[in-house]
Amino acid sequence: MRGFRALIVGIFALAVAGCASTPPEALAANDPYEQTNRDMLRFNGKIDRYVVIPTVGVYFILVPEGGRRGVHNFLGNLSLPTIFVNDMLQGEVTRGSQSLERLVINSSLGLGGFFDPASKMGIPGHGEDFGQTLAVWGAGEGPFLMLPFFGPSNPRDAAGLAIDAAIDPTNRIRFKQHLWWAAGREYFTLLDLRAQTYQTVQGIQRSSVDYYSSLRSLYRQLRNDQIRNGRAEGQDLPDF
Amino acid sequence: MQLSMPLMRRAVLAFGLMFAAPLALSEPAAAANVAENFVDNNIHKGLEILNNKGLSTAQRRDQFEGFLLGLVDVKRIGLFTLGQYRRTAPPADVDAFIAAFKNYAVAAYQSYFARYSGQTLKVTGSTERSPTDFIVATQLQDPHSSQPPLEVDFRVRTDTGNPVLVDVSVSGIWLSLEERDQFTAFLGQNNGNVRTLITHLSELAVNLDKPAQ
Repeated sequence: MRGFRALIVGIFALAVAGCASTPPEALAANDPYEQTNRDMLRFNGKIDRYVVIPTVGVYFILVPEGGRRGVHNFLGNLSLPTIFVNDMLQGEVTRGSQSLERLVINSSLGLGGFFDPASKMGIPGHGEDFGQTLAVWGAGEGPFLMLPFFGPSNPRDAAGLAIDAAIDPTNRIRFKQHLWWAAGREYFTLLDLRAQTYQTVQGIQRSSVDYYSSLRSLYRQLRNDQIRNGRAEGQDLPDF
Repeated sequence: MQLSMPLMRRAVLAFGLMFAAPLALSEPAAAANVAENFVDNNIHKGLEILNNKGLSTAQRRDQFEGFLLGLVDVKRIGLFTLGQYRRTAPPADVDAFIAAFKNYAVAAYQSYFARYSGQTLKVTGSTERSPTDFIVATQLQDPHSSQPPLEVDFRVRTDTGNPVLVDVSVSGIWLSLEERDQFTAFLGQNNGNVRTLITHLSELAVNLDKPAQ
């Protein structure tokens, strides 16, 4: 499944490389593949509308809130080894030790990660990925990309997806049902994400003058915030 | 020698700052308090309006509109969101845009903040960008959630005499920046025609007033 993701990224990179004419506004927004990206957003929207949202509805009906929280915790716990590695690669020793503590506590006391006693013990969770690590190491984001199935991204973050898949220890454990396990994990990650963001995305769609450029702006601002690991001083904001 | 000159410059600068700092810091510190108090007092009022179950939808909208327009510099934000098109658009179109943006902003902000029901807001500090430009940091805590508090920042300008709000950020995402990116992209796709944007904004404002399906 992770290999499939990397393949899609590669195919998409080739597809967008073929785009010839680019409007000046798209270049100013560091989005030379804007038309292809907009087509991809329409494709993702159809997948979301006809496949993802109906199954999110079924998920809400079949699984009560406590169960959904347990699934969310379990998936978060599975990501902790990758987060730990990226913490350490960024030199964030304190955050790295938090990730390790959360993994040990939630895997044991949290019954395999379905519960989150670590947060109650004052060890907060956080996200980290190889796209952010590359940014901390000084890599620029590159042009905006709308990936099929995975949504807003850029070459740096798309490369990060592939590296994170290689880092993830659960992808290295080979067993008979590995493919089903990997597919199920991806599917539930998507369900969990969409279940959590349903209202927010609906709000953005309703209030957007241009949904595509809204997503582009939100993604860039959010990623910059994640890379900074907290509040900026605000000196890089434009004047009014 | 190449190293010593910058070091000496720094030492002189530090020495100068030792004497200048108390003078320079006293006024901005007071100004920062003005910005923090402004946010602390007013955002609670806004949340009270949105959380008041005794109001009808129309009453809540009217009260929130009055509250918002007294607090936010809508014209300044509107001009900012037009980006480079502000300079090329006819003045009459810019004025019409500001009026349409006002209606859209009230509907959109009400839609955003209506989701934050029952939460409490706590001012945690502020940063001075310039003597009249502050970012006030707050935390929005949901008493019914075990999640960490949401970081919400407010950008306050004090150069017009009274403090005014010009932008709000939730988890690092600034609303006016996002609006500018959208509007300039839309205008780029419509030959810079501000009239088209005005029509679109007016339609959106009407739709946002209707309940979500």
